[in-house]
This record gives sequence, C-alpha cells and structure tokens, in this order.
Amino acid sequence: MSDWRDVRVLYLHELRSALRERNIVVYGILLPIIFYPLLLYIVYTGVSLAIGREAKDRSRISIGELPAGHETLKDEMARDRRIEIIAARNAAGDVEEEIRQGRLDLHVEFLPVERGVSLARDVVASRDFKAKLTYDKSRDRSSTARDRFTVTLDRYREFYLEEEASRRGIPPARFQMLWTEMRNVATNVQMVRYFLGLLLPTFLILMVSVGTMYPAIDSTAGEREKATWETLMTTATPRRNIIVAKYLYVSTMAVSSGVLNITAMLVSFRQLIVSLAAGAESGFDVSIPLGAVPVVLLCTVLLALFVAAGMMILASFTRTFKEGQAMVTPFYMLTMVPVLFLQSPDLAFTPAMALTPIVNVALVFREAISGVYHWRLIGLTLLSEVVCVALCMKLAAAILRQGDFMLGGYSGNFFKFVRHRLLGGGRKPSGREDGI
Amino acid sequence: MSWPVEVKEFAKTFYDEARGEVHAVKGVDFECRAGEVFGLLGANGAGKTTTLRMLSTVLRPTGGSARVCGHDVVEEGEAVRRSLGFYSASTALYPRLTARETVEFFARINQYPSERVHERVEYLIDRLGIRPYADARVDKLSSGMKQKVSIARTVAHDPPLLIFDEPTVGLDVLNALELQEVIREFRAQGKTVIFSTHIMSEAEKLCDRIAILHDGRIHASGTLEELRAYSGAHYLEDIFVHYVTAAQDGEGGE
Repeated sequence: MSDWRDVRVLYLHELRSALRERNIVVYGILLPIIFYPLLLYIVYTGVSLAIGREAKDRSRISIGELPAGHETLKDEMARDRRIEIIAARNAAGDVEEEIRQGRLDLHVEFLPVERGVSLARDVVASRDFKAKLTYDKSRDRSSTARDRFTVTLDRYREFYLEEEASRRGIPPARFQMLWTEMRNVATNVQMVRYFLGLLLPTFLILMVSVGTMYPAIDSTAGEREKATWETLMTTATPRRNIIVAKYLYVSTMAVSSGVLNITAMLVSFRQLIVSLAAGAESGFDVSIPLGAVPVVLLCTVLLALFVAAGMMILASFTRTFKEGQAMVTPFYMLTMVPVLFLQSPDLAFTPAMALTPIVNVALVFREAISGVYHWRLIGLTLLSEVVCVALCMKLAAAILRQGDFMLGGYSGNFFKFVRHRLLGGGRKPSGREDGI
Repeated sequence: MSWPVEVKEFAKTFYDEARGEVHAVKGVDFECRAGEVFGLLGANGAGKTTTLRMLSTVLRPTGGSARVCGHDVVEEGEAVRRSLGFYSASTALYPRLTARETVEFFARINQYPSERVHERVEYLIDRLGIRPYADARVDKLSSGMKQKVSIARTVAHDPPLLIFDEPTVGLDVLNALELQEVIREFRAQGKTVIFSTHIMSEAEKLCDRIAILHDGRIHASGTLEELRAYSGAHYLEDIFVHYVTAAQDGEGGE
C-alpha cells in the first residue's frame, strides 16, 4: 500500500517538475497541438494560392494559320476565358525564345497530315491536320496552357466528328469501338481511412519517440547532471518505487504525446478535407471507427511503454543531458526505420511482422483504422510487445542494482555494460558495486 | 547500551577502470550517541564520503556492518533511510520545484505521517526563515537560500540521525556560520549529527567527539580534550597532522 502511495508521490513530483520544463511542454504537448493545424493551414493556404493563381492566370497562346474548314476552332478557343489568343509569330526561333523568356506560354502550328497517318482518309482526308504544340515543360504556366489547349482541341474534335457523322447519316455511337467503365467499390470514407492508415501510424511513431526523448533523458541523465539523483537515492522509499514512478511518468508523456498527436491530426485533417471537398460529393469523414479506438489506444500505450523503456535504459548510462541525447539518438533513429517500410501500402501484416516491435503496432493500428482486425496477429503483437517491455524492465532492474551505476561512477556505455556485467565477459560483477 | 549509530569494521572496495581495485574504506569502527555532533575529520580522499554513503545505504559495504537506530544498513535499507537525513554537496535540490513543494515532497516520500505534513512544512518554513521565498522556484534562489531549503528537506521527516557531509563546501562565511548554528539546534533537540569536514576550525567548534580518518581508517577518536591528551598537541590542526603523520610512518595511534 505504502509502495503505491510512494509511487504516486514520486509520479506527481515528476509530472509537476516536467510540466514546468519548457522543452518537455513544447515537444510533448504544444508541438502535437499546434504543429498539425499550423502545417495543414500552410498546406491549405499554399494549395489555395496555387489553385487561385492558376485559375487567374490566362494562358497566352499564339496560333498559326488555321487549316481550311476548321476556322471555328479559333471560336472554340476564344470561348475559354482562360485562354488569350495573341498575335502569331512567324519565325520558329522567335517563338521558342518567347516561350523560354515566359512572354508566351504556347504556340500552336497546324500542319497537313502525312498520307500514312490519316486514318480517315476516305472520309475527311482533305481536311485532316496535325497540331504541333511548342511549350516549356519546366514552366507551370506553359504546361497549363498546353493542357487547356488540348482540352479545347479534344472538345472540338469530338464536336467536329459528330457533326461530320451526322452530315453523312452515321450515328455517333458507331465511332466508338471500345468503352471503359470504372467503378471504385471503396467509399469516400474508406478512401480517407486508407490514407489515414498510411499516415497516422507513421506520425504516431514519430511523435511518441519525440515526446519520449526529453522526459526519458531528463529523468535519468538530467537528474545526474542536476545532482538530484543522490538526493532521491537517500529517500526512504524502495528504489524500485523510484524506477516505477519514473517509468510511469515517461510513459505518460509518451502516450499523451501520441494521443494528442493523433487527435490534433484528425481534427486538422477534417478541417482540410472539408475545405477542399466543399462543393464535391459528400461523404468525406475523417475519423477513426469507434471500434478501432481501444485497439488504437492499446497500440499507443504499448508503443509508448517500449520506447520509454528503451530510451530510459540508454539515457541512464549518461551523466549529462548532452551525453543522454547522443546515447538515445541511435535508438530514436532505429524507431524511425519501420516508418520507411510503412510508406508501402502493400506491406502485409504477417506473423513475422507481428513479432517485430514497433512495426507490429503500426500495422495493427493501420488495419484497425480500416476496420480490419486479424485477432491472431493482434494477439502476437501484444505478446511480442509485452515480452519486449518485460525484458527492458528486467534489464533496467539488473542495471540499477549496480552501486557505481546508481552513483554515476560507471564510465562505460550500454554495450560495455551488457558485455562485462550481464554476459560475464571481462570482469565479473562481484556484487561490490551493488547498491542497496 | 544501544547507540543510535553503530559501525563495525565497515569496509568498501570498488573497482575503478583506471586504477583497478580501490580500498576506499578499510575497516572503520565508531558509535554515535543521541544528542551529540560526531565529527569525521579527514583530508580529501580519506574515505569520509564513502563511509557516510554506506551508512546512508547509497552504497553497499563490502565488509563489516552498521546499524542506524537499530536497523541494519544492508538488510533494512528503507528503515535506515527513514531514520536519517542526508545532506551533502552532491545532494542538490530540484530546480523546477518551489521551496515549499520541495520540503513537502521530501516529507511525504520519507513517509512522514500524511496528516501532519502540512504542519511540519509550515513549521520548517518559519523556523528556517524560508517564508519570504517559500513559493519561489528553487532555481531562482541564491545559494544561501538554497542551503536553507536543503536543510529543510533533510529534516523534513524529522529523523533522529542527521548526516552532513562537508556541508559548508561552497558556502560563504556567514552562511557557513548559520549552518553551524542550525546544527547546534539539532543537537539541542536530541538528534544525532554526523558531521564530516576537512576544515579543522569547524570540527573544533562544533563537534562533541571527533574521529580522524585517513586512508580509509580511523586513527583516533574522542573528545577534543581526549585527542589533545593523547597527541600532546593543542590545536586540532596539529592533532590531525600528528595522527596522519603517524599513520604514514606506519605507527598508527589511539
């Protein structure tokens, strides 16, 4: 009973202290809350500006002499308010230079069709033509001009063919020889969840790691640097209570960072999708299915427990915050490796994956968002994560039994410690370093 | 007779990557009475801090035994720590807590009765003159203020034994004198105080009995008068040099 009372006192003490530390508050709480809305605001503004500018800018197109019988093409182009027909250039070299300099976006030249190319020679051979487009693909505005003209030309072609067919008494449908019909069985909700499934686990891993790093170092190496470690070691509570409280505190910060991150991301995305999809067909629902919430929370907690344990163990080998950062950074990078694999939507959730820490949690998360639950693999994931956390705890307990380690007198790193003190290589642990 | 502190053949050997096996404490014996200030006098590296760390259960002894208020330091670590307050230059305060929060935290974690914590905290805040800055964060306090808060956190749970390991290191004269005055008050309250120092004048003024520690061993212990009588020297500095020189010459002495 007094153990839990002590753990509570220590835990609240750690939290209180942490919430007064600017870096912890910024990286663990403010970053997730502010980062996504800000990021998405910037993206939204950028996209809107780009779309607005593109819509506002008229494409400056010069055209050569129109082929006989196709004079109405110019009228078709003039109907598009986004196209400005400007005076034709004569010399090809001039045109290219004008386009390169950005004074012209597109030049269209109409050429007669070589005999072998015409497919309808017997019908409209005399009026066939080839449109030669000159543009600068490295400029957006020039590419846009090409696209706009192509759309106009396609529309004109369709209209022209229909008219010719009608004149000759051929039903327009007979021009078609192949029809394509596409049907996406995924609803908009499913599509959104598919993208969330790719995105959220990635950011979850990232933000849990970022949110864990500072508290993990602060509660271990930071205590040594501030010389408060020994003060704590002289208190009447059992040492295990101190470790349990610190672990709970770091895990709490990791979980809160993950949960805040996901929540902020969902809220921000909802706003972005609603804004972008305004006027489009409805059904864009940016949310996690209710049934997935317990699984998502469980994943977040497991991930946080594992990352917190790993970072705390490594950071506890150091005596200053800077040393702690240097020691923990490789572990942080390691947690980012699964993020690379998660970018592949085809990554299958196999038993091997279910036994791989971090990846397994991310895959459970991804599937749960899409409403897919492979319970056997989820069970394997839980088992794997619990075993990892238990191993970390056992390792931490072995480390903390070393007296010189507790007092910051141990000068080796984690790997040296494992080799010498745990695996028995080199000097055997004699118990002389044991604290009480 | 039961002593609040009984130390017998206390020893500590540890392994240093550079120096190999180091015998920091080589069999130390002493007892402390209730209501006395017991001084551990020794040069840097004599083994004072290691001895006190073993006594406060931060380190495990490799030989000998010790009891604090009847509790064995190896077997009953938590009970021992509940019975003592440990103050040293290496036991700093949490910079992000206020003075009041600091004292309260140490009272609670050292298992002072919950219902009396508030009363105890307020008493110490008044007694040590902390009230003007009781709600200021520790990192905003001067070293003199921090020293008072450190004393308050050391005695927050009202332990019968207080260990002060070189407490005046880094303090100015006035703060050092103030600390000595506080220690005298603790003695007057019947607490046992173990005071380690390498400053002779401090030990001379403050300690009821003094043990001279050199190279991991106690070479003499007793009241100042007894040490004077044994050594034939008057000043503590001369007494200390006498015993250390004798130890280095391999003679020893008691």
